[in-house]
Amino acid sequence: MTTPWRKAIRDFWTERARTVLVVLAIALGISAFASVLAAYAILTRELDRGYLETNPASAVLWVQRIDDELIAQILQNREVSDAEPRRTVTGQIKAGPVQWRNLTLFVVKDYGDIRVSKLVPEEGAWPPATGEILIERDAFQVAKAKIGDKVTVKTAHGKEQQLLVSGRVHDVGQAQARMENIVYGYINLATLVQLGEQPYLDQLNIRVRNNRFDEKHIERVAGEVKTLLESRGYPVTYINIPRPGKHPHSDLTGILLLAMSSFGLFVLLLSGILVVNLLSALMASQVRQIGVMKAIGGTRWQIARIYFGQALFLGIAAVVVSIPLGVIGSRALCDYMAMFLNFDINSYAVPVWVYLLVVIVGIASPLIAAAYPIRRGTAVPVRVALTDFGLSRTTFGANAFDRLLVRLGGSFSPLVFAVRNIFRRRARLVLTLLTLSAGGLFFMAALNVRASIINTLDRMFGARKFDLAVTFSDPYEWSRIQRAINNTQGITNAEGWFFTEGALTPDREFTVAALPVDTKLLDLEMLDGRFLRPGDTNALVINNALAARVPALRVGETITLRIGSAESSWRIVGLAKEAYSPAIAYIPLDFIQKQEPGMTNSLRLALARNDFDSISIVKESLDRNLEREGVRARGSSSQAETRFGFDQHMLMIYIFLVVMSAIVGSVGALGLMTTMSLNVLERRREMGVLRAIGATPRVVWLMVISEGLMIGILSWTIAALLAWPVSKVVGDALVGAMLRGGLDFVFEPKGLLIWLVVSISVSAAGSFLPAWKASQTTVREALAYE
Amino acid sequence: MISLHQVSKKYETPAGVFSALTNVDLYISGGEFVGVVGKSGSGKSTLLNMIAGIDRPSSGAVTVAGTAIHEFAENKLAAWRGRNVGFVFQFFQLLPTLTAAENVILPMDFGKSFPLRERRKRAEALLERVGVGRHADKLPATLSGGEQQRVAIARALANEPPLVLADEPTGNLDSITAAGILDLFRGMATQGTTVVIATHEADIARVIDRRVEISDGIIVK
Repeated sequence: MTTPWRKAIRDFWTERARTVLVVLAIALGISAFASVLAAYAILTRELDRGYLETNPASAVLWVQRIDDELIAQILQNREVSDAEPRRTVTGQIKAGPVQWRNLTLFVVKDYGDIRVSKLVPEEGAWPPATGEILIERDAFQVAKAKIGDKVTVKTAHGKEQQLLVSGRVHDVGQAQARMENIVYGYINLATLVQLGEQPYLDQLNIRVRNNRFDEKHIERVAGEVKTLLESRGYPVTYINIPRPGKHPHSDLTGILLLAMSSFGLFVLLLSGILVVNLLSALMASQVRQIGVMKAIGGTRWQIARIYFGQALFLGIAAVVVSIPLGVIGSRALCDYMAMFLNFDINSYAVPVWVYLLVVIVGIASPLIAAAYPIRRGTAVPVRVALTDFGLSRTTFGANAFDRLLVRLGGSFSPLVFAVRNIFRRRARLVLTLLTLSAGGLFFMAALNVRASIINTLDRMFGARKFDLAVTFSDPYEWSRIQRAINNTQGITNAEGWFFTEGALTPDREFTVAALPVDTKLLDLEMLDGRFLRPGDTNALVINNALAARVPALRVGETITLRIGSAESSWRIVGLAKEAYSPAIAYIPLDFIQKQEPGMTNSLRLALARNDFDSISIVKESLDRNLEREGVRARGSSSQAETRFGFDQHMLMIYIFLVVMSAIVGSVGALGLMTTMSLNVLERRREMGVLRAIGATPRVVWLMVISEGLMIGILSWTIAALLAWPVSKVVGDALVGAMLRGGLDFVFEPKGLLIWLVVSISVSAAGSFLPAWKASQTTVREALAYE
Repeated sequence: MISLHQVSKKYETPAGVFSALTNVDLYISGGEFVGVVGKSGSGKSTLLNMIAGIDRPSSGAVTVAGTAIHEFAENKLAAWRGRNVGFVFQFFQLLPTLTAAENVILPMDFGKSFPLRERRKRAEALLERVGVGRHADKLPATLSGGEQQRVAIARALANEPPLVLADEPTGNLDSITAAGILDLFRGMATQGTTVVIATHEADIARVIDRRVEISDGIIVK
């Protein structure tokens, strides 16, 4: 090893405490980056692999009914590698005496020969026998049942029937049941008959033979199958082509990982700032040594190499620490995402390219960060470097700002001294403030986004004045429903609504909700125009989701809408705000009543009590009374259940932001500690002078602590000023990307207070050690320091 | 060996322009031991810096061993200095995290003047020559002022430079130690090395070949 390398290592060794701090800070950044990168590699590989292993359908076609002969004909198409019929039936399920849960039943003809969209049996019976039901693994918690339980199931047209929960399956393609608050069940055709439904299959899953990831090709093949079906007298009502080869949640995963990657890079950037600070200080303290090296023949590049060597050491040490941390972090992240997306990770193996990239980024970052201080430090002319007297090279008092600071302070006190001192190394101050303020900003943004999410949901649910929504499989006479309501205790208000499909053109379908114009159970916030009111006949209100989907729709315009088979003319009278809602148009119920007098297919109920148990009792009682009237509910959901689902989705964003702020805050704290220790080191002789003229160790200690606290408070002020706009942007971006909805922003003042306390604590903690060291240095040591 | 022709050096200071050297003409032959004498602030160090290429003249020419060093770029100058000049400072200026031997090896590493394996041996020999061989593996902080200055001299000799410059090399030492250090310089000059020492001390006369007196940036004698 040559002497310059020895110098590089020993210089760091002599300042090992500070070196460790900077290595830790960089390691934090690289660990965050490595965790996200590895999680990205694992998740994208495992998610799509797991999904592709199920042989997902290339396209799903809905027809009246499908039989084996039809399947055989479809399979004659060379482009179709497989075709399999299924059926999806909605209904309700309950495990205990009360509390019906929404149920989606998947009916498969032959569980022994599932070739498309395969299920993975996990425990218990396989296939399900007649009278048995398998439940998706994540749905057990929703169903509140376990294997071996008897559950009661009812579908739209059948009767209540007890089924045995005989096993657990994993259906990779389904969303997490807990978040959707729905039970996924799997039965055979004979069980479907037991439930009182007709034993037919109406959903055709096909897989194309070639170009499986080519959407255009799939569309073409699906079109050919459609033509064949219709030529045989089986009209196709709907075709769904899922994104080829992609798990339904892969987009969401991508957005989350993108957000996390940005964060990883951001933390890396912040830790780079610490390298800039450390090396700037190191270079400043070694100006004379640089001069000597130049004087004895060292070229600028030879000297720069010593300091680049130190930056390289920082990078290598940080990478060594970061890789195991990153692997652990990526596992935690993968497990969390896998739970959220309901899929299994078979291998946590991190691809080699991730390690390589982490090593390259980890080593390159400190080198890049070090480039400027090294360039600057080695540029000092030899004569200037040799005459450097080692300390306090900054000239305080040279500009108007310094003079202003001087005017601010009265008589000498540690506080006045601290205020002036923090502005001596301005570049360092700015970089330190940047890291500390970033921590505060993220923390406040986390609280603000959370508060805004809650506010948005509160307003959204506040607009819905009903506690329970019941949907029917078919339209029923209102008079029968009214009787059931009258016989049910605890209902204070009820309205019959009618939901149907509307379309501007054949491919632009959306939900049309017909409701009483004087509805008391919906009070939407209007962005433009007004809501429906008595006397309206052809008035239509659109929500913001529909306006976003069809930008041509504007308040005041008249449009032609196809509802059912008839076309009618409507005037858009208002634009309503509905967070996280599908595209909906609201029209007067009278319009539907003219076509189907006295009929309704959906019920909205306000209850006297809206606690969980009371709602359950009302649901159970109403269901019984509706059955007595011959009315079959397809499903029901309380506001509380729906809200729970939303809260679960939002919790993830909140946790992400809080974890983020904790990591950024830690980098900030390490940055402050580094800054304070550099400040103390550089002013050691000055402190010796202070001690020589009578300052006690306590005063010196107080001075340094005050300086740290001032920086903390300054960082808090910056974070507080930026918290509002940054929180709004972060909130809109995250929530908007995930749920395609805006945020009703609200500022959380608690965040300001909490971060002030955190800032003060972090600053005090960060400056404690440097302050203590400064106060313990003897006058002789301090004055002799170069 | 060394030729300064009409060398002037002016510095811009907040108080105005300060002339450190004014139209200095000086010629020093090879193997000569010259003492540049003058009061503090007289321009001795500036003159030495000009010869070493540490500073550049505002006007005039500096030629060392036939090379016009005032025309060199910074990096080229550093490399030239490494091979041709040994510099000894008043405050020793040893690198604190390197041992005595490593301090001596450093110029050899920079200049790549000796094979890697020979550098350590050579450093030990040089330290032995200046009387601090037993301290080769000690850090500067553990050495006395005189010992540190001897190590600094060994470092100055590392690349066998034809020219050694010393700026107040005994200014920080007691008289006995100072005498020992001056004897070392005398020995170098005797062996053919050109030595130029800047000092404000009068008792240098016994070792030098020629005395150059400088006052207010002008050579007066």
